[in-house]
Amino acid sequence: MSALSDRAQKALLAGLRSGAVAAGPSWQRRLLTGFLRSPLASMIALALLWEFATIAFAVPRRALPPPSAVFADAWTVRADLLASFGRTLLETLLGFVAGSLLGCLSGITFAYVRTLERSVFPLFVISQSMPVVAFGALVVIWFGNTLLAKVVMALFLSFLPVTVNTLRGLKGVDPQRIGLMRSFGARGFTLFAKLAWPWALPQVMVGLKVAISLSLIGSIVGEWFGETVGLGVMLLQAMYTEDMTRLWTVIVACGLMGSALYGLISLIERRLVWWRSAS
Amino acid sequence: MPTTTAGAPLSIQSTTAPAQLELVNVWKRFGDPAAPTIAVREVDLRIPKGEFVTLVGPSGCGKSTLFNMIAGLIAPDNDGSILLDNVPQPDGKLLGKVSFMPQRDLLFPWRTVLDNAIIALEVEGVPRREARKRAEAMFPEFGLKGFEYHYPQQLSGGMRQRVALMRTFLFERDLLLLDEPFGALDALTRAKMQSWLLDIWARRKRTVLFITHDIDEAIFLGDRVLVMTSRPGTIKCEEIIDLPRPRDPALVTSAQFTTIKRRLLDVIEEESMKSFASEGL
Repeated sequence: MSALSDRAQKALLAGLRSGAVAAGPSWQRRLLTGFLRSPLASMIALALLWEFATIAFAVPRRALPPPSAVFADAWTVRADLLASFGRTLLETLLGFVAGSLLGCLSGITFAYVRTLERSVFPLFVISQSMPVVAFGALVVIWFGNTLLAKVVMALFLSFLPVTVNTLRGLKGVDPQRIGLMRSFGARGFTLFAKLAWPWALPQVMVGLKVAISLSLIGSIVGEWFGETVGLGVMLLQAMYTEDMTRLWTVIVACGLMGSALYGLISLIERRLVWWRSAS
Repeated sequence: MPTTTAGAPLSIQSTTAPAQLELVNVWKRFGDPAAPTIAVREVDLRIPKGEFVTLVGPSGCGKSTLFNMIAGLIAPDNDGSILLDNVPQPDGKLLGKVSFMPQRDLLFPWRTVLDNAIIALEVEGVPRREARKRAEAMFPEFGLKGFEYHYPQQLSGGMRQRVALMRTFLFERDLLLLDEPFGALDALTRAKMQSWLLDIWARRKRTVLFITHDIDEAIFLGDRVLVMTSRPGTIKCEEIIDLPRPRDPALVTSAQFTTIKRRLLDVIEEESMKSFASEGL
């Protein structure tokens, strides 16, 4: 990644010096345009803009610290930050896996058991109207300041989108294909494993992508109820000490984790669930 | 029994060969039992082993309902029955006994062409490796050699249809039900596919019931053409096609062919006039 951007930057500089980027060899040009269109480029551009804006308008650090200050701060607390990052990542991933499993299983159950869909599914929806903070208090009393408490919070926030999308995916299976499979003699689990589940997977992935972001929120909020390490803890501390730079350090760290996790799920989707099931 | 408009004597085959499929007074009514919507009415049909029967009719005449009943997907009303090899097949018993190919190819986008072809075998419990071996042998014959590991989305409409047909053929049952398999193809591809289907049929000798709304196609392919009429759907008449086989695509311009076509068109015309009249149009 860095090699690529290095090369791209060199190509950019060379292009600027010669006054015509287009005159360079085609592979350099392709690399350059590829880089300029990447989100990384716009991120760098935004950071530069931010940096220069805080200097140019002499923005006080208490209002908005420049990115350079944020990175410097991150470096001074790197040990803490890394430990917190790891801890929050662990909570998020565990909560996400548990929430996804619960979501898939409940979605499948609701899709096949009509009675439960009518009677229990609404309760699932109602559970989400409870403020997560109220639920957090409950979880802390039940599980104490443990890893499990955060995982439960992340699970609580993330399972429903998976349930809803699994249910929708399974209900949307093309009836003609079901007919075809039945004409081959397929029933029950065969029908599920060979048709319904793969058919629903693209929709399930939509749910998983929502769930991973919600899971991160869940674990951070969970940490607010009592923990010693974690990005949520650092966030809370920065807020109490009104340390604006630290706050931004944690925000950037959370953003990095969120986008990395989302990217990971997207990558898995592109590799494994690349088809579209629209009939 | 449907009347024979052709006036020709029934072929030896259709009277003496044992019946593969028999429909006796098959009805299908939907909705309110007191005032039902009749989709299929009083269908009597006997298809001997090895015969290629085509069924023509306007859209909405109940062809697909009839097909779904023969495939076992929906049950006929209780006053009639469907017999396969002279054995009555009550509710759901036909599932897994007939090779059924619906109008659309219905391929699975997550499976390669090869794995799409073997889906029925997998359902039957044939090990994947064995099923793939059997399918691979059929690829040249279906003009799909070299496309084993492509995905359906990468194929043209004609090729997808051939994959669907191969899937149907690999599900080895004596009776093949083909529901307008070439309906969505352009005229040239369709003509090619028809000749090719006849070729395969001649070699594999299965009993075929083929739905189409194209009269040319029905005559070109069939040993016998059944005409179905709408509202309520029933088999109005049949026509024995005694054109020699193997049939050449040029056959469709022969005098014999056009005479048969004229006769069938007259019947269909008369029927559609009737149904327009009954609707007050």
